[in-house]
Amino acid sequence: MSTEERIAEARARLAPFTDAVEEAAPDRLNAPLPVEQLLPAAAALIEGQWSYLTTITGTDLGPEAGEFEVLYHFSSGALVTTVRVRIPRDEPAVPSVCGLIPAASFYERELMEMFGIVVEGTPNPDRLFLPDDWPVGVYPLRKDFDPSEATVVIEKDPAND
Amino acid sequence: MAERPNSGPLQTIIDEITAWSRINSPWAVHFNAGSCNGCDIEILATLTPRYDVERFGIKLEGSPRHADVLVCTGPVTRQARERLVRIYEQMPEPKFVVAVGACALTGGVFQGCYGVCDGVDKVIPVDLYIPGCPPRPEAIIDGFVKLLTALKQAKEGQAA
Amino acid sequence: MINGNVKPAEKFVVPIGPQHPALKEPGHFELTIDGETVTAASARLGYAHRGIEKGAESRSYVQTLYMMERVCGICSHIHGTAFSLVVEKLAGVEAPPRAQAIRVLVAELERIHSHLLWVGVGAHEAGFDALFMYSWRDREVVMDILEALTGNRVNYSANVLGGVKCDVTPEAAETILKGVDFLEERARQYLEVVQSDAMFLRRTRGVGTMTREEALTLGVVGPTARASGVTQDLRKDAPYAAYPDFPINVITETAGDLEARFIVRVKETIESCRIIREVLANLPEGELTTRMPRRVKEGEAIVRLEAPRGEVFYYVQSDGTDTAKRVKVRTPTIANMASVLHLSVGHQLADVPMILAGIDPCFSCNDRSVRLTSAHGNDVWTWEKLRQHGIEAYR
Repeated sequence: MSTEERIAEARARLAPFTDAVEEAAPDRLNAPLPVEQLLPAAAALIEGQWSYLTTITGTDLGPEAGEFEVLYHFSSGALVTTVRVRIPRDEPAVPSVCGLIPAASFYERELMEMFGIVVEGTPNPDRLFLPDDWPVGVYPLRKDFDPSEATVVIEKDPAND
Repeated sequence: MAERPNSGPLQTIIDEITAWSRINSPWAVHFNAGSCNGCDIEILATLTPRYDVERFGIKLEGSPRHADVLVCTGPVTRQARERLVRIYEQMPEPKFVVAVGACALTGGVFQGCYGVCDGVDKVIPVDLYIPGCPPRPEAIIDGFVKLLTALKQAKEGQAA
Repeated sequence: MINGNVKPAEKFVVPIGPQHPALKEPGHFELTIDGETVTAASARLGYAHRGIEKGAESRSYVQTLYMMERVCGICSHIHGTAFSLVVEKLAGVEAPPRAQAIRVLVAELERIHSHLLWVGVGAHEAGFDALFMYSWRDREVVMDILEALTGNRVNYSANVLGGVKCDVTPEAAETILKGVDFLEERARQYLEVVQSDAMFLRRTRGVGTMTREEALTLGVVGPTARASGVTQDLRKDAPYAAYPDFPINVITETAGDLEARFIVRVKETIESCRIIREVLANLPEGELTTRMPRRVKEGEAIVRLEAPRGEVFYYVQSDGTDTAKRVKVRTPTIANMASVLHLSVGHQLADVPMILAGIDPCFSCNDRSVRLTSAHGNDVWTWEKLRQHGIEAYR
């Protein structure tokens, strides 16, 4: 399949869920859609193993905008189709795609710990990267992250100084 | 070179006998505290035939419990910090710490990132700093030789 | 169960050794075993988590390039190239052809060094230290070439935003060609060893087998996927830098076991030698860099490159300043780690070190620990202990 053919294929698969598919670049499609359409859209894209989920990128549009945008990047050949879901910052939640894509667990764990987004139904909610002593409720990739809330004070043993 | 406080005259003698007898061939334990692996592969390279660090009498050991020297790479990520401290505590006196690479010295390019402590001496005392990103195997061996020389001199100073 | 976790309620930690009772021993891997068989596996990463993505939000693009090169010291160049390419895309800038070709040259040299490193590490995990010593000795040839070309053995920093900073002189080309001849010969010898040494085959043939179907479902990438017959290689599927001018042959095997993973990587080493000769014979003339704006206009871009371990993915958002708004990096090891957990289930504990080694993980911690849960309780093993366990089991 050429990239043009893949673009047509992606559009066809996404047609039931959004009419806002945009060609951002010759090898990149954007597909914004409401969170309720995430699972069926993902299922449509991976049907027959036509594409695979490369990763999930969380982005913080900022406290003033009041939203997160979660990007699901589906790759097929040279084409990346990014499904984009906006969710409110004060009650951020997306459904887990692990039922369709078990390997997404790592990406969902990262999303949860970095942004505080609740991924409903994800099989493993444990932290993936952040250390055990990282304070609960502090999300480093948020735009309003204050490093002082997570600063470790290391007390050195005076005898060893 | 940092002084190590001993706890009692008998302990001092035992420590000296153990330690100084091993100065000619110290056992080193290697710990990666969040390194990108650049320094680690150059440390491992010192074991290979081209550099053959063992001819200088340095042996890479598995267990901290038997080690004289702790060789540490990485900016010390927060997750690694506890483990680093624990390994340090498990080592018997006298013990020496070598920080290898820019990250181990100051955090390197990651200085200020939320996940790092900005260097080994923010967490445990360090005796020798080997700069580089990464330092080449010759530089690492050179650093070790400097450490051994300093220890030998201290030993001679003690005997005097 | 693909993500077979040990549920928190069933876990209790019995620390080993002289530790403070309140300190929980964090395990990289948590395995539940029934006798010798692994029944569940989960992972807890984070020992190398530095906070790089956030760090990029307060560093200029140039500073971030130096940081990205150090995401991984083994595949530093691919990260530097990926970041350079994605920022160039955002800025609407194309590095000159000579620079793109040199990027490919260094990338293939890096692939050789990384694969040889892995052959040694994989052999070490199986207890074959002689092969470790040989492959790392041979690897020194690549290190010398890279150092002559770029000035550093590791973290070669060949990239600048807009091109490369090192050129290939005719003398350098001579040295590289000689080195590559030697390396190809050695690689062919390793190919024979991994396919014929009886002891080695006991640890690799039929071990850790992953079908093509499983590889696709689990989203595995790189040589790990290609060893299971998945014909996927970004240098061919989505060629970047100068790969459109230097097409590659995708190396695959079908057995999907550890032996196949060794074969694919050694054959890729040979293929890299061929690509390097091609590039040197057809190196475009011209500039090494093109002008890059300091401030990058608002936008988004994605690049996907074939690192030695598989697909590396970069997504960057720019906002018109000299600092990125968001940088997202997905390394191949994260993609492949799920397969390790899945494959471990049903295998013997003794096979776990080799299964992990098979994906060529960024071996960030040679200090990985493993928490084992069984009917008898909990135990925590060092990686060394697990490795030895594997070696003993196959004696």
